[in-house]
Amino acid sequence: MNLVDISGLTVTFSQYEGQVQAVRGVNLHVAEGESVGIVGESGSGKSVTCMAVMRLLREPQARIAADRLELAGTDVLAADRRTLASLRGRAAAMIFQDPMTAFDPVFTIGHQIIETIRAHRRVSKPEARAEAADLLRRVEIKNAETVLGYYPHQLSGGMLQRAMIAMALSCRPKILFADEPTTALDVTIQAQILQLIKELQAEFGMGLVMVTHDLGVVAETVDRVVVMYGGKIMEQGPVEAIFDDPKHPYTRALLASMPGQIGGRRRLTEIKGASPNPANPPSGCPFHPRCSLADAGCARAMPAFDVLTPGREAACWRLQ
Amino acid sequence: MLLYIIRRLISVALTFFVVSVIIFLMMHSIPGGPFDGNDMPVSEAVRAKLMARLGLDQPLHVQYLNYMWGVLHFDFGVPYQSPGESVIQLLSRAWVPSLVLGGLGVILGAPLGILLGMAAALNRNSIIDYFASTFATLGLTIPVFVISMLLILVFAVWLDWLPASGWGSPDRWILPIAAYAAIPIATYARYTRSAMLDCLNRPFVTVLRAKGLSENRIIFQHVLRNAAIPMVTVFLPMFIGTATGSIFVETMFRVPGLGAYFVSSIEARDYPLEMALVLMVTLMFCLAYFLADIAYAWLNPRIRVGGDH
Repeated sequence: MNLVDISGLTVTFSQYEGQVQAVRGVNLHVAEGESVGIVGESGSGKSVTCMAVMRLLREPQARIAADRLELAGTDVLAADRRTLASLRGRAAAMIFQDPMTAFDPVFTIGHQIIETIRAHRRVSKPEARAEAADLLRRVEIKNAETVLGYYPHQLSGGMLQRAMIAMALSCRPKILFADEPTTALDVTIQAQILQLIKELQAEFGMGLVMVTHDLGVVAETVDRVVVMYGGKIMEQGPVEAIFDDPKHPYTRALLASMPGQIGGRRRLTEIKGASPNPANPPSGCPFHPRCSLADAGCARAMPAFDVLTPGREAACWRLQ
Repeated sequence: MLLYIIRRLISVALTFFVVSVIIFLMMHSIPGGPFDGNDMPVSEAVRAKLMARLGLDQPLHVQYLNYMWGVLHFDFGVPYQSPGESVIQLLSRAWVPSLVLGGLGVILGAPLGILLGMAAALNRNSIIDYFASTFATLGLTIPVFVISMLLILVFAVWLDWLPASGWGSPDRWILPIAAYAAIPIATYARYTRSAMLDCLNRPFVTVLRAKGLSENRIIFQHVLRNAAIPMVTVFLPMFIGTATGSIFVETMFRVPGLGAYFVSSIEARDYPLEMALVLMVTLMFCLAYFLADIAYAWLNPRIRVGGDH
């Protein structure tokens, strides 16, 4: 069974300026225990895809449509509030970009972990507290008992993100969505947090969806990479294949813009132009205005996926 | 926290002192004196004798020091308008109706306003929201004497459900309480709505949803608790502002309260009463803001616990 089963997902935001198409026909599957990285620049629709399958987008401003939108075997588009609440935090957990604003400032860390445990399982408060302390120890927080009594403002960003991970894992989810979990942290802390997530993923045997704009992050943490651009998937495949032999011009450009990839004194290569305006996306392949290989055909229609090998596919006219 | 309390108490004392000096000077800078009225003319000699007896012939700073010396001993003097009783007796007599009516107005109005504001925030851009916003705007913009007149017209004249005025029995309290409640309802509805909407947009609410908490728990435990922090700071000052009586409400409903004395003591140059009223209101506002600050600090762990990292 796929933990995440998305096909034909579109998400449209109604805004003052008009309709913004954040996600335009995404298919995504994550198997049990699998780790998938969704890579793309801001506005590519990578976070919105995760938020949509968790049904965390503010509706009805966000309109979600899909042929299939399933989380741990449950159709989340048809699910009512109670079903969704019992799914979130238990079957599927999520950690967020900025740990400093992710906790309620007026309750202690302990309170917030304990309430998560007790929202899903019938355990007494002392039991939940002991579990919360164990979880904090597991995410390598020293003097866990003391930290349970701390308020969020008393902890650093790195500590808070650890506590956030502990809270997300408190009900042993089958899948963890990590939405840019290291972007707001110091560089020195980033690697530790990624290492921790990777370890815990293996230990808990859970699926992982790592959303990031940082190719370095996916290289370190995931098995499979999905590259998104302009609300669509451009290319996907095993992480080694994507890094060693990128097929899509956008993936290649993205890799070329990574600092220190080859080392030496090479200049950084940027991708010319700006991200597409989601209120008025380009016709055809969304990347064609910035693509060095584009021709008139690219502006006409979005290419279908070429399955290069099983599980490895790219959508580009120039591949044919 | 203790240091914070001490600092705030010192500032209360300073405020109290500064206000007392300013009011004393302003009060005496108004031309005329307590015995210059035309309805009961007195001769020059009698006037001088009366002034001397009340100590009004002395230099201003001596008068001030004498008065404040009395204040420190809870002696506020005798009101010129009503020489048969002390200022304290007059206040304790006249304040009861104001305290009951104004106090009940805030105590009943604030929860209603909070409920209205919550309903508006949770049903944003719905009929309920528009109704609450309109109601709150009307409550704040229509003068209280117009509201009072409308209440009398509808409930006393047209429907004849309630007596129009007076103080004697509790059924006479209902309409003035309703008039007093208009401002707390309106203020709290607006405050609650914006504080809740502000909280609902904060990232931690998304995290709470992602944790699988029920919407009720998110709203009532987390959002309301955060929204309450700015809200508590308004309550006590509003209570003081209303529970010291409004000349408009008390005049409209013929309530023998404190409100009218704020005006008559100035008109009659009734210096002891005027000073006592102003000092009382100043002290209560100072204490109200002091307590509001303490409550704010206590509800907010960033201040109560302090100590980043």
